[in-house]
Amino acid sequence: MAPASEAHRTHPLSALLQGLLWGAAIVAGLVWQVLDFDDPNWWALAAVPVGFVAGVVAGYVGWFFTRYVIDEQEIRIERGVLFKSSRRIPFERLQSVDINEPLVARLVGLAELTIEMAGGSESRTRLQFVTLAEARRLRRLLLARAHGSELAEGDPVPVEHRRILHVVPPDQVIIGTLLSLDFIVTVLAALGSLAFGLFTETGWAVLGVLIPAVWGVSQMILNRIVAQWNFTVSRGDRGLRIERGLLSRSSQTIPYDRVQGIAVVEPLIWRRFGWARLDVDVAGYGVVTDESGGISSTTLLPIAPRDAADRLVDVLIPDPERGHGDRVAPPPRSRLFAPIGWRFRWLGSTRSTVTTGTGWITRRRAIVPHHKVQSVEFSQGPLQRRLGLASVEVHTPDGPVSAAIPHLDALEARRVTFEQVERSRLARRSTAADVALGGGVEGADELAGVQPPLGQDDLLG
Amino acid sequence: MARDDLFTSPEGNWTPVSARLATARGLIASLVSLVLVAVSVALWLLLADLMDGWAWTLWAPGAIGIALATWVWWWAPRNRRSWGYAEAEDDFLVRGGILFRRLVVVPYGRMQFVDVTSGPLARAFGFATVTLHTASTSTAAAIPGVPLDEAARLRNRLTELGESHGAGV
Repeated sequence: MAPASEAHRTHPLSALLQGLLWGAAIVAGLVWQVLDFDDPNWWALAAVPVGFVAGVVAGYVGWFFTRYVIDEQEIRIERGVLFKSSRRIPFERLQSVDINEPLVARLVGLAELTIEMAGGSESRTRLQFVTLAEARRLRRLLLARAHGSELAEGDPVPVEHRRILHVVPPDQVIIGTLLSLDFIVTVLAALGSLAFGLFTETGWAVLGVLIPAVWGVSQMILNRIVAQWNFTVSRGDRGLRIERGLLSRSSQTIPYDRVQGIAVVEPLIWRRFGWARLDVDVAGYGVVTDESGGISSTTLLPIAPRDAADRLVDVLIPDPERGHGDRVAPPPRSRLFAPIGWRFRWLGSTRSTVTTGTGWITRRRAIVPHHKVQSVEFSQGPLQRRLGLASVEVHTPDGPVSAAIPHLDALEARRVTFEQVERSRLARRSTAADVALGGGVEGADELAGVQPPLGQDDLLG
Repeated sequence: MARDDLFTSPEGNWTPVSARLATARGLIASLVSLVLVAVSVALWLLLADLMDGWAWTLWAPGAIGIALATWVWWWAPRNRRSWGYAEAEDDFLVRGGILFRRLVVVPYGRMQFVDVTSGPLARAFGFATVTLHTASTSTAAAIPGVPLDEAARLRNRLTELGESHGAGV
């Protein structure tokens, strides 16, 4: 066992980086101020060095008062001058560890460590900045501890072997973006505003319409290409790793037993080419609001041929019976609620997973392992009651995966609800008895001891 | 199958919530309607002469208030009766709502924490709202009108069951 661990500091260059980042943010904010063609506010540029200096000072003070300590149970991060804050992250609560290298930091070999815990909006902890080597060492250590290993802090953490599962080539990201619905909508909107501008404006004023239109479209493509450059998914002993990025690199690690559910998304045009996107629910990642993003940490695979996507699903949520379970679908009288969509809705259940399918423009499949189900909801509105229909919803932690099937036959919905409750109960029991069954991945027996406690101090009221 | 059967679980005994929940809601609505009637009276006294022919519209707030109070007194007991919770072997069940009915089944092991909240008025009537939270915000199973001592018992019991069934996230 390790002796009482000493406190560590982040890298001194953090202060300078903070200054650069603040300065850059101010430049970005000022671009439009200065580009106002009628009356350029050149004096506003003076705010840039001010922002830079303020950032450096704030960064230095922040750095000076930041410490992190790792002991047997937890990692503690202490910061703050006037308002001291100390955050403890017990290892068993840890959901995932990410390393981000924003461009500026990457140039000087520094990285940011992001640690996710379950629950709440405050569940994300950032450690800015440490050297890349230190970030990697911390990640290995944290993930090893999260899996119940009792490595001391000074001990060398064994380097794990990784196997690459899938690499998304950049040209596929580009083609996928060009053929995505949201891109086409953006282009149409830009063209529309441009046409409107050409009719109403004259001379140089047209630029005021042209620049934002071109900017919006090109930014969307560039953002995705830059963020998803060399998108690589690999598997190791401790979890799945996602690495991506051209300028800013990011590297996420999701322990296998923290995957709460996966969504297979097949948009209209992609379906013709047999492509799909994968999104993942991990407690703590939370809800991603912008549908267009594809750059968020909940993206498991931005675009891939369907069989490659299915293989990845099989690695994360193995189910030998996939596609062979019982299926239920809404009756034709639910047409009132979804004139076309009702035909595309279904719920299938096997011994280990529940899968729902929805959508006729963008087709989605949500796959949730029974032992990860949080709660099950059965509901009925007034119109549904009249038609003898009811809805079932399987709750998963907040994220892109939503396993719900609305407007089933009321009696069938009730049966599905209590069957789901029973299946989840059996799955939880067999998982507790034999984690290998639930996890079904290499190194699964290490996970047996990992059970976040529900302590008295969690209770309010 | 009757409506009530649809929302009744195969196992567990359903506990209703306090009847005082309906009384409290009715009283609040009555108070609001009293204020609205007072507003109408005041408006009448001040403006009736100025609005020849249209003066009757000044009674609208009072009429709305009385309609609201009547409706709440009709609705509250029905809504109160629709709420209930049951402790099954491995799960906790909550149901409620008249127009939009909802039944949520929460496994004990999935509960992250239990909230007991009660405002000054609810405390005066001796009840509280108990809310169960899991790692999913859509769970949000809230039971209104649980008597205070029962709320405390429920919280402790659920915490205890949560610990013994603990299944992690």
